[in-house]
Amino acid sequence: MNKILLGRYLPGSSLIHRLDPRAKLLLSFYFIIIIFLANNWSSYFLLFFFMALTILLAKIKIGFFWKGVRPLIWLILFTVVLQIFFSTGGTVYWHWGILSVTSTGLVSGIYVFCRFVLIIFMSTLLTLTTPPLEIAGAMESLLKPLKKVHFPVYEVSLMLSIALRFVPTLMDEALKIMNAQRSRGVNFDQGSLMQRLKAVVPLLIPLFVSAFNRAEDLATAMEARGYHGGEGRTKYRVHQWLYHDTLSCLAFLALTIGMLLLRNW
Amino acid sequence: MDNSHQKLVGLIKAALVAAIYVVLTIALIMFSYGPVQFRLSEMLNNLAVFHKRYVWALTLGCVIANLWSSLGAVDVIFGSLETFLMTGISYLLSKLVKKTWQKLAIAVVICTFSMWIIALELYVISQAPFWATYLSVALGELGSMILGAILIGIISTKVDLTK
Repeated sequence: MNKILLGRYLPGSSLIHRLDPRAKLLLSFYFIIIIFLANNWSSYFLLFFFMALTILLAKIKIGFFWKGVRPLIWLILFTVVLQIFFSTGGTVYWHWGILSVTSTGLVSGIYVFCRFVLIIFMSTLLTLTTPPLEIAGAMESLLKPLKKVHFPVYEVSLMLSIALRFVPTLMDEALKIMNAQRSRGVNFDQGSLMQRLKAVVPLLIPLFVSAFNRAEDLATAMEARGYHGGEGRTKYRVHQWLYHDTLSCLAFLALTIGMLLLRNW
Repeated sequence: MDNSHQKLVGLIKAALVAAIYVVLTIALIMFSYGPVQFRLSEMLNNLAVFHKRYVWALTLGCVIANLWSSLGAVDVIFGSLETFLMTGISYLLSKLVKKTWQKLAIAVVICTFSMWIIALELYVISQAPFWATYLSVALGELGSMILGAILIGIISTKVDLTK
């Protein structure tokens, strides 16, 4: 169950692990935007160089990153093949009907592949070095300015942490119910689609009923401990913006300038 | 006091439904991410027609579940935005009709239609052909939404989902 609670998180104490989760969240989004600035070999090379540097700093084996690529490999290959066969322009190497392999097609196929790999690597780096609870905390504090437009920040963040807290509990419960139904002869993984669907009903109904009952109990327990809405609550884990967070922002600034220079070079 | 208690209960119920979404997504992880997306937990989108709180529940569930996705950050933004929009629109439209099956039918149509956001996401990242991607993700969504509508329809006769 711990595996699920932690997501894909790999515990560690590297520089990347210790960065403020808010900085990590923002910078990894920013990196994904910057990827779209790349339009030539040198700019992709710079991005890969930067990525390699952050992976080295995180002290995580490259194998974990390829694991992130694997579930998407068919999508990636499919789009690369489409790019190669359906692009026009440049030198024509091979031609048949509407299909043709041109130098432009080959280059843009490779670019799309690189873009995919970079996006996946950066997202993987975020989830490998940051536990889900920290990401949720970071989201909460980044959403805070939205309070001005009456966005229910406290409620949303409370829901987010309760949901995260109860994922393993409900997982346990789902397994328990499944076993209980199995002992009564329900078969979850055999039979026609309709039969399997019917088997899910006696799983979902108890799951919902117990979740709703739990909600009543939890609300009472929270109020007994003095919960009275989000206003004025303090936090157990407080994020601290340290100098290495500013430093990593500067590194991204340098990357942006480098990308803009290479793009127009 | 009573009013605030009910509010808190509603909020926790939403959180727990979000957790159920995550549990179902992870339990069926093989099919849950990527282009030929057959995410069975999407069937819970049908819940939105019963109560406003499930709009939040499913959006948050989607945020958490997408943290496990390979495309991570991108999926969190696009996927959750899409869930928020489609469940929100389904909720608002379903107020116009009375019968449960009519409400569920609205959710099925709206959610299938809204998959253009996911198709757009995949198009922007990979330049995969937009309409083909749309077709593939919309078919997956249509499948899980129809199955889900039947399931949620059955469940709603046993559990009062509107409370």
